[in-house]
Amino acid sequence: MLSQSIWWSSIVLEVFLLTRGVSGRLLFRYPVFYGYISFVLAQSIFRSFVHRWSEELYSSVYWTTEFLGLILGCWIVFEIYRVALAAYPGTAKMARKILLFLFVLALAKAAAALWSDPHLLAETTALQMERALRTVQAIAIVALVSVFASYSIPFGRNLRGILLGYGLFIGERVICLTFVPVAGKDFWFYAYSASYLVALSLWLGHLWSYQEIPEAESSQLEREYQMIATATQRRLQEARGYLRKAVGS
Amino acid sequence: MMEFASVITGAVLLLLLTAAALRGWLASRPWGAGPAAGEEDTSEPCPEELVSRVFSRADWEFVRGLKAGGIERLFEQERKKVALVWVRQTSALIRKVISEHARAVRQNENLEFSTEINIFAQFLMLMAVCGILSAAIQLAGPLWLGGLASVAQRLSQRVSKLQETFQTVGLTNAGEAKSA
Repeated sequence: MLSQSIWWSSIVLEVFLLTRGVSGRLLFRYPVFYGYISFVLAQSIFRSFVHRWSEELYSSVYWTTEFLGLILGCWIVFEIYRVALAAYPGTAKMARKILLFLFVLALAKAAAALWSDPHLLAETTALQMERALRTVQAIAIVALVSVFASYSIPFGRNLRGILLGYGLFIGERVICLTFVPVAGKDFWFYAYSASYLVALSLWLGHLWSYQEIPEAESSQLEREYQMIATATQRRLQEARGYLRKAVGS
Repeated sequence: MMEFASVITGAVLLLLLTAAALRGWLASRPWGAGPAAGEEDTSEPCPEELVSRVFSRADWEFVRGLKAGGIERLFEQERKKVALVWVRQTSALIRKVISEHARAVRQNENLEFSTEINIFAQFLMLMAVCGILSAAIQLAGPLWLGGLASVAQRLSQRVSKLQETFQTVGLTNAGEAKSA
C-alpha cells in the first residue's frame, strides 16, 4: 500500500514537474535535467508493465534502467557545473582539476581492490555496485558544492533547486543503499523509495517558474592572478604574525 | 568498510547541502554584497597594544595584589570575554581575506591550482589556530595563554637548539669518517 502511494505520488509529481517545465520554457534551459525526469517517468511505467508481465525479466530490466538513470544523473551534475560556472572560468578550472583528481582516485581504488581480489567483480551484487557508484557521485557533488561555496558562486533559484534536490536525493540514496535489505520491505526500503519524492517536491518548488541566474560582474578581471594571490598570501601571513604576536606577548 | 565510507559520504553530503540551504551559500548574492548575517565588522583589526594587554599578566598581577576575590573573578570573566571577541574578530578578518580573494579570482582564467590549494591550506591552518585559541581561552582563560605560549616558545627553542647540536655532531662525524 505504502509502495503504491509512493509510486503514484512520484508519477504525479513528475508529470507536474514536466508540465511546469514546458509551460515555463525551463525545459530548454535545463534539457539534461528534464531529460532525466522524462526518463525516470518512462522507466517507472515500463518497469510496472514488465513486473506484471514477467517476474523473471523484471530484475534485469530494473538494474539496466537503474544504471542508465545513474549515468543520466552524472550528466545532471555536469549540467549544473556547466551552467553555474559558465561565467567563472577560474572556478571552473579549479572544479575540473578537483573532479579529475577524485575520478583518478576512485579508479585507482577500484583497480587496487580488483588487483587484490580478482573475483571481486563476479562476487559484487548489483546493489553493492550501485552503492559504490552513487558514493563516487556523492563525493563529486560534495566537491562541487564546496567549490561553489568557497568561490561564492551566485545561483539562481532554478539551478539551486536542481542541485539541492539531486544532492539530497543522492545523499539519502547512498545511506539507504547501505541498509536496504536484498529481499523484503523494512524502513530502509521505504526510505529508499521516498528519497526520490523529497527531491521531486524540492524541484517542483524551485522550478515553478524561470528565474534568471545573477550575472557576474568583472570589476577585477583586469588584475593579474599572481598579483591577487600574492596579496592574499601576504595578508594571511600578516594575520598569522598578528596571532602569534598577541599570544606570545 | 565500504558501507561505513558510504554512510559517512552520504551524511556529509546531506549536512553540507542542509548548511548550504540554511546559510544561503548558494544564494543569488550580488557582487560585493556586505558581510553575511552573524559576521562581525572586520574592517580594522584591534590595536596591537590592546591585544597584547588582553593576554598580558601584568594587569592580573595588579588585581591579585588587591587581595579581593570578587574583583579577581570579575577581572577574569571580563578578560575572557574581550579575548573571545578578539579571536572571533580575527577569524572573521581571515574569512574576509579569503572571501575577497575568491571573488577576485573566480573569473580569472590564469588561476593556478597549486597556489589556490596553498592559500586554502594557509586559511585552514589559521582557522584551526583560531579554533584552538578560542577553546584554550574558554578552558584556561587568556591570562594563562600567554604563559603557555612562552612555555611552548621556550620548548621549540630548545628543540631547535638540540636539532642544531645533532646536525653539528652529524657533520663532524661525517667529516671524520671521510678523513679516515
